[in-house]
Amino acid sequence: MRNPFQRLFSDRMVALVRKEFGQIRRDRRLQISLILPPVLQLTLFGFALSANVANVRLAVVDDSRTPESRELISTLTESRSFLLAGYYSSVNQLGDAVSQGSADAGVVVPYDYARDLARHRPTTVQFLLNATNANTATISRGYAEGVLQSYNAGLESQGIHVQVHASNAPDLALRGQVQLMPAYLFNPGLVDSWFIVTGVLGLLLILNSSLVSSAAMVREREAGTIEQLLMSPASTTEIIVAKIAPLFFLLSCMMLFAIAIIRFVFHVPFHGGFLLLLLAGLLCILSGISLGTVIATFSKSAQQAQLTSFFVNPPLSSLSGALNPVEAMPKWLQPLTVFNPVHHFATIVRGSMLKGSGFVDVWPNFLALLLFTLALVSLSIWRFRKQLS
Amino acid sequence: MRRIFAQARKELTQIVRDWRTLALALVLPVVMLILLSAGLSLTVNELPIAVQDFDGSSASNQLIDAFRASISLHIVAWPVNKSAEAALSANAARAVLIIPPHFGRDLARGFASPVQLLVDGSDANTAKLISGYASEIVTAFNQQHATAVQAAPVQAAVRLWFNPGLSSKKFYGPGIFVLGISMFPPLLAALAMAKESEQKTILQVYVSSISAHEFLLGKVLAFMAVALGEAAIMSTLLFTYFGLAFAGDPTPFLVATFFYTFCVASFGTMVGARVPSQAAALQAVALGGFLLVFLLSGLIFPIQNIPASIRWVSNLVWGRYYIEVVRDALLQGGGWPAVWYKVLYIAAIGFVFYSLAWRGMRKMQVKA
Repeated sequence: MRNPFQRLFSDRMVALVRKEFGQIRRDRRLQISLILPPVLQLTLFGFALSANVANVRLAVVDDSRTPESRELISTLTESRSFLLAGYYSSVNQLGDAVSQGSADAGVVVPYDYARDLARHRPTTVQFLLNATNANTATISRGYAEGVLQSYNAGLESQGIHVQVHASNAPDLALRGQVQLMPAYLFNPGLVDSWFIVTGVLGLLLILNSSLVSSAAMVREREAGTIEQLLMSPASTTEIIVAKIAPLFFLLSCMMLFAIAIIRFVFHVPFHGGFLLLLLAGLLCILSGISLGTVIATFSKSAQQAQLTSFFVNPPLSSLSGALNPVEAMPKWLQPLTVFNPVHHFATIVRGSMLKGSGFVDVWPNFLALLLFTLALVSLSIWRFRKQLS
Repeated sequence: MRRIFAQARKELTQIVRDWRTLALALVLPVVMLILLSAGLSLTVNELPIAVQDFDGSSASNQLIDAFRASISLHIVAWPVNKSAEAALSANAARAVLIIPPHFGRDLARGFASPVQLLVDGSDANTAKLISGYASEIVTAFNQQHATAVQAAPVQAAVRLWFNPGLSSKKFYGPGIFVLGISMFPPLLAALAMAKESEQKTILQVYVSSISAHEFLLGKVLAFMAVALGEAAIMSTLLFTYFGLAFAGDPTPFLVATFFYTFCVASFGTMVGARVPSQAAALQAVALGGFLLVFLLSGLIFPIQNIPASIRWVSNLVWGRYYIEVVRDALLQGGGWPAVWYKVLYIAAIGFVFYSLAWRGMRKMQVKA
């Protein structure tokens, strides 16, 4: 009797694995789908998806026409946040410009602006923001208020405001101001692409693994050679392992390649342990392959398998928090992310690359990923066996 | 004319026979609209934020209460004796507010009292939102407790147009509506066309009396019908679940929808005519229909943010113009003066696709 370990490396096994490698080598489409998606998706998503808000086009109605109002407008447009789109003579014209899309925001300076400032009376300028995109609007509102705050601080230091303090307010009634000192940890430069590419890595591993493996699995069935395999002396376990092993190896190479792109093209730092990332990535690939196998068992041709994956991939990718924060989803959808391996992997990747967290911090995610992988692998083996018998 | 309709009817019958294609045409767009609008949104509510209060005075409690009152933030417990950074690396909170000792005393004495906000920057956009929310809360707190003369000399009165509730559903809904139409009808069209050459039925078409234009128009018409059906289903969803309504003149939207369905149906037919196998046609459409329209059309993030080296591509992306038309019709209401040339672009790109499909079809004979 030979023990199972010896059987795994038997001649038959080696022959089967060699056959699979040979088939992959001759399948140019499969090879392309191992190299092209990591490059294309990582770079396109990383470079094109940027929530950064800069150069908001600002239309101006200056009813005051004074040096003070022009100073305010140049303070606004000097920052990189706003770009002067043009001067308009009435609020209606400005409204038309915003709704036709030639400006993203408008500012209206009232006619009594300079007079109020000179009299030390608070004055109000109106900002009109095109809020079609809620995110951009929230951030540009922050910019507008930030610019005004520093403008106010400038006014006070010029003495316009300090005099008022001294004359009207007794010192004891004066209350200190709370100053907020924000500090951004883990990504002090607030680079958008770091968040995107670490999320895309998870999508890439699971979705591409499932795509590649379903194509490889269904090919045997499409060509009708699955019966020949069954008639061979190889056991079903051997067939499955021999099918999975080469794919697993190639996809692991793809993962390393993708991590290299993330590290050297996007300069994402590497604060945590590489081993944790690697283990989680391998689990992800395994669950992706299993997912692809399950899809393949439901399909008769490569085209059907691809169509079926259209039903699986959108929920997997959109309910993962890979491209946006989970808190942005509606309340009733948020619990579903717990059942998504991509979500757990993205948390692990961000933890170990950006935050330097170790296993202690992300073990719940790791455990969940492990459970999913085990469940998917057993499901796929069960489906595959059922299909064979 | 009769032949065109017969061809169209044949295509529609083929779609109805396979449950996968039928579900792809009718169910999946709806599912995608709901899921993606959730999965793309960036505006966040109830972000977990931890507070470490080293002061414990009534002033610090007031400040914490001001944070607690915000809808955007959600205070979670974090013990004072644990490191603040640990809350971020364990994903327990997105930010930590640290109130130093003597905060209340300094405030009462009229000094500037700093508080620190440590923000998890790994998600840059959310980090910006958090610090924006926090500074708004602190500014309001200062104003509430300030004496009259301390009020800032220049104040901003911000008005949000077109989407005053800042609902990102209203922004993404129209975009994903366009994505759905850009993806599934061309997918089906490409499959149907590639099938003709894969199964060699294109030869039967050549020997029949139907002309190339009749054959193509029949196909395009069938998938335009599919796309219009999808558009009808999805716009029902937009008007109900997403709470959108026409902001102005609906005719630009209707005309653009007609041309856009022609555009996407011709795109699919073109791909199918040029790519011989169904599996390859699927991938080509997924790349063109999904990746281009998803990434380079301003669907999620403004086009200005795309690096200039690839930004020019988005001028050629057909979905981009339609997204702008749909958003204008449902949110801004600029009407014809704002969008007339975009409708023309859509129609022009559609005719380019159609003529490419026609040229491709003449060569299918050689490949088949």
